[in-house]
Amino acid sequence: MIILADIISATIIFAIPLLLVALGGMYSERSGTINIALEGIMIIGALFSSLFLNYAEKSGWGASHAQLAMLLAILVGGVTGLIYSLLLALASVSLKADQTIGGTALNLFAPAFAIVLSWAVQGQGQTTIYIPTWIKITQANFGLTISENPGFWEAMIFKNLYLTTPVAIVILALTIFLIYQTRFGLRLRACGEHPQAADSVGINVYKLRYIGVAISGFLAGIGGLAFTIAAGSGFQSTVAGYGFFALAVMIFGNWNPIRIFGAALFFALFKVIGSYSGSIPFLPSFSGIKYSQYLYQMLPYIVTMIILVFTSKKSRAPKAEGIPYDKGSR
Amino acid sequence: MSDFIIEMLQITKEFPGIKANDNITLQLKKGEVHALLGENGAGKSTLMSILFGLYQAEHGEIHKNGQKVLINNPNDANALNIGMVHQHFKLVEVFSVLENIILGVEPTKYSVLKRNEARQKIVQLSQQYKLSVEPDALIEDISVGMQQRVEILKMLYRDNEILIFDEPTAVLTPQEIKELMAIIRGLKAEGKSILFITHKLNEIMEVADRCTVLRKGQCIGTVDIDQTSVEELSRMMVGRPVQLIVDKADLIPGEIVLAVEHLTVASKLHKNNAVKDVSFNVRAGEIVCLAGIEGNGQSELIYALTGIEKPVSGRLTLKGHDLTKSSIRDRSKAGISHIPEDRHKFGLVLDYSLAENLVLQRYWEPRFHQNGLINREAVNQYADNLISKYDIRSGQGAQTIVRSMSGGNQQKAIVAREIDKNPELLIAIQPTRGLDIGAIEYIHTQLVAQRDSGKGVLLVSLELDEVMNVSDRILVIYEGNIVGEFDPKETTVEQLGLYMAGARRNDVKGGQV
Amino acid sequence: MKINLKQAWHTLKNKPGFESFLASAAAIGIGLIFGFLLLVIFKAEKSVYGLSQILVVGFSSAAKFSKVLYQAAPLIMTGLSVGFAFKTGLFNIGASGQYMLGMFMALYSGIVWQFPWYAALIMAMLGGAIWGAMPGLFKAYFNVNEVITSIMFNWIGLFAVNVLLANIPMVLADYYGASNPDRTANMSAANKAAIIPKWGLDTLFDSTYMNISIFMAIILAVIIYFVLNRTTFGYELKACGFNRNASIYAGINAKRNIVLSMVIAGSLAGFGGGLYYLSGTAQYTIEKLLATMGFNGIPVALLATSNPIGIIFSALFISYIQVGGEAMQPEFAKEIVDIIISVIIYLSAFSLLLKGIIRKLIKQSATAGKEVAP
Repeated sequence: MIILADIISATIIFAIPLLLVALGGMYSERSGTINIALEGIMIIGALFSSLFLNYAEKSGWGASHAQLAMLLAILVGGVTGLIYSLLLALASVSLKADQTIGGTALNLFAPAFAIVLSWAVQGQGQTTIYIPTWIKITQANFGLTISENPGFWEAMIFKNLYLTTPVAIVILALTIFLIYQTRFGLRLRACGEHPQAADSVGINVYKLRYIGVAISGFLAGIGGLAFTIAAGSGFQSTVAGYGFFALAVMIFGNWNPIRIFGAALFFALFKVIGSYSGSIPFLPSFSGIKYSQYLYQMLPYIVTMIILVFTSKKSRAPKAEGIPYDKGSR
Repeated sequence: MSDFIIEMLQITKEFPGIKANDNITLQLKKGEVHALLGENGAGKSTLMSILFGLYQAEHGEIHKNGQKVLINNPNDANALNIGMVHQHFKLVEVFSVLENIILGVEPTKYSVLKRNEARQKIVQLSQQYKLSVEPDALIEDISVGMQQRVEILKMLYRDNEILIFDEPTAVLTPQEIKELMAIIRGLKAEGKSILFITHKLNEIMEVADRCTVLRKGQCIGTVDIDQTSVEELSRMMVGRPVQLIVDKADLIPGEIVLAVEHLTVASKLHKNNAVKDVSFNVRAGEIVCLAGIEGNGQSELIYALTGIEKPVSGRLTLKGHDLTKSSIRDRSKAGISHIPEDRHKFGLVLDYSLAENLVLQRYWEPRFHQNGLINREAVNQYADNLISKYDIRSGQGAQTIVRSMSGGNQQKAIVAREIDKNPELLIAIQPTRGLDIGAIEYIHTQLVAQRDSGKGVLLVSLELDEVMNVSDRILVIYEGNIVGEFDPKETTVEQLGLYMAGARRNDVKGGQV
Repeated sequence: MKINLKQAWHTLKNKPGFESFLASAAAIGIGLIFGFLLLVIFKAEKSVYGLSQILVVGFSSAAKFSKVLYQAAPLIMTGLSVGFAFKTGLFNIGASGQYMLGMFMALYSGIVWQFPWYAALIMAMLGGAIWGAMPGLFKAYFNVNEVITSIMFNWIGLFAVNVLLANIPMVLADYYGASNPDRTANMSAANKAAIIPKWGLDTLFDSTYMNISIFMAIILAVIIYFVLNRTTFGYELKACGFNRNASIYAGINAKRNIVLSMVIAGSLAGFGGGLYYLSGTAQYTIEKLLATMGFNGIPVALLATSNPIGIIFSALFISYIQVGGEAMQPEFAKEIVDIIISVIIYLSAFSLLLKGIIRKLIKQSATAGKEVAP
């Protein structure tokens, strides 16, 4: 049973960055801009929030105000991601450039900049930025005692609990509400479906597309931090392709927040099965094969492909995504 | 206080290369229906876009109730109570009727949409003006007529007083047009002032009080409808007497070129078949016209004939050869030419040069390549030949990138390419859409020339005038069935309209003529 | 003489490619200035040294220059892979996986089957082609976006190649007595015939890196240029890329073309993997990182606006400043070069804007010239 609790808990912690970033991608695409730069934005968010946590650790202030420091780190990641994403908005909304070009440039810049800055801050060759351990939420935060042999629920909840998890859940709930029930959501969707129609009723398409991209930057920045926490060994100037997986999760989730949540959990589950294959008793171990864990690590990608084959016929992307809006074109 | 609710004074607007509006003055009286008449490209839409704030004029002023106003965007127009129904509806397909109506002026509380309040207002308006709509239906699921009513409700919801209709009848059946005319009269009775853009003279005679005529960006004049005639309006519009009837010799029908038997084609949009067990044929030396309202299976039928889609069942033969299972290329080789519905989507590779586009259907012929190597000289020579023969005008001749050419010349290029293949059967889908009178005449002449040289022509058209004038035989398609067959000399537009709207039918089965 | 120059300038500035060239040059200039600013910020006293390393080292010796060529060859191939797909309307972000499969097939056939180098290179193309076919097939028959499939198959390819290599003892270095079990074999121990010949270039350039790869890559770039611009096949592929509906209407088999496009793109990237790992100097280490050579093909292609001939030069340029970047370590992280490249790519997104500015400047200089002239 404990192993099951571990799997669930690990699934959630891996699903959180995917959820955040895929929701971010959704905001951007719902406004009509394909955000292929999610990977780079995640790295920027992870870089600055890790540096912030590192600083909080060194100053000694962080450990005594752990969750406040963590909340600030989340904001740092989100805001730096947001600022960085504006570069994409500038290229693809204002200058109407090909969206893959701007996105590729941002993806190329981010890891290189992260390494250069890590060296500059920590010294030559010091690429890993360590994340302090005190950011974890423990039983103590709720006035509970930490038990030697935790039960199922306790293990599931507290094995990997960080502030990013509740924040992500709140963001999910907020997104569902925002997209479907508010004026902002209605206008954002209109810009991604039929910008000419939105323009004709006086909606500023450029402004909403900027906002869509900026929200995606904010969420991807937080997602970068969430990934770094899930990966567990500090920030190493990479998010291991999660920005791209998030795009797949978004498509698989059909640009719908609830389904994106399901898709993120699903993808994360297979990721966890891949990573923990050795410790899950009922899986065949392929003992004759060297590095057999790689076989399991292929699993999430293969399963995603299979699912996309079945869902892509029905998938419905925002109609105007990827097309720069030009007021002058008739 | 001025007599006029809106005045557009000495408006000039230039686009790169053309003066779309040249010193135009238009004055709209309160409570009148004012028609704006002109050919495609005369500058009507540009003028109305200026009034609606989509473009800004370089010169000229707009006055409302005698006061000068500035309209920099649709919000300004809306604030002045000006609303517009665009020719291509500005509706978000995956949104509901209600969402489309309130978009931009959403009633909210703490920025949360108040859907119920909006629904009440919409229901009240739709009863007051007899505009029946279903507030919660998605736009993609409702008819074109209802979509138009949604557009009208959008204006009424905003309490607009000045209503602009841009070519509102282009997509409607004769019966729906009648309903629209009644709606417009009703709006007038409620005190609204209406601008009505069209190039159809009889509609103006029926509903308008006054009419301003534009030609090539210039204002020709404004006339009272009860003091003018169709002939005068048409002369003002075109600048010369118009030959509305196409000259052609009597029909000498030959052998059957195209025979379609029990053809059924699936729909991509819904589960029902788009084309249901359709049979007909086209003979040499005749123009058969497939009339119908958009979305009644014409597109799918043509896709099946040209091979773009596979039919569910049925058979088609060209001069006795079974082509049911042939590829697009093989059908083209066998003698089918196709002027497609959407020249930008299907007909042209806009980023290719004119020469490259002119060989799009025959680049693979031995004379254009040696072992897969393109013979540029032969391609250019062939292109130059077509350009002079069909009078295709472009900036840099054969090397012009097609995207930079005018719509009329793009269409000419397609017509040249398809006719020069010397096909047995020419399929033309709305070949004159969006073209000016000169280009329309040109294309009609080419279609008749094909017919007179003993080829079969299948014309799909939504314009009933074109259907009546050009064709030798009319088939009406409604919901995927052919519901009537007519001789244009023995039928009327009204009768066709009844069949097109599904009000009457006598199903035509089998391939008899 | 002066008049001739003027005339030459006049004809040059009216060529359509000239503005594009100037726009690229301006982007490169701004990118380098940005890089220099970073150097100043991080270590002002060494900044001039750092910049001179980036700009000069590639030409500083025959050995360094041969390293530029050695890295440029696979870069040209992955750049061609991405650029070819772009020309046919597809975004091949999967060059990395295709490159991996190319490497695997080259090593397997070269070592296990003892194939000579040219046969092993053909196998590399085959490996890349199979991996490239995947996004093509998924797009053509299941309507799955090629970007997503490419990304998934990059990872599937990485793990598959790792597992395969780890379980074929013959291809690993320790089979030949070396100590590291996670490394592929040194080719000179495993099969000398599979090493790409050097034709004496190594002694001429005094570098073991130098072989004929760069010439093979250039020849392939020319072939791709020729195929795209002069053949009916290229005409079909580009028509499909510009407007898929119109190509279907013209009787071109669009599905087949999508698959073929991706197969060719994949085989080009696979060939690049073969070139690199059959050089005799490179050994692959089993790890969980995607091959960066594949991703670097994207900027190479973008910088050259996917023109195959332009790709030769953009790959040489990128390889050149990368060699320079390595030389400025440990004072600076070599990733500064990646930053410079990314700035250049970002600016190339503004190429239209830059071209507009350049056109204005040229016009201004022309009118200024007229005013001065009598």
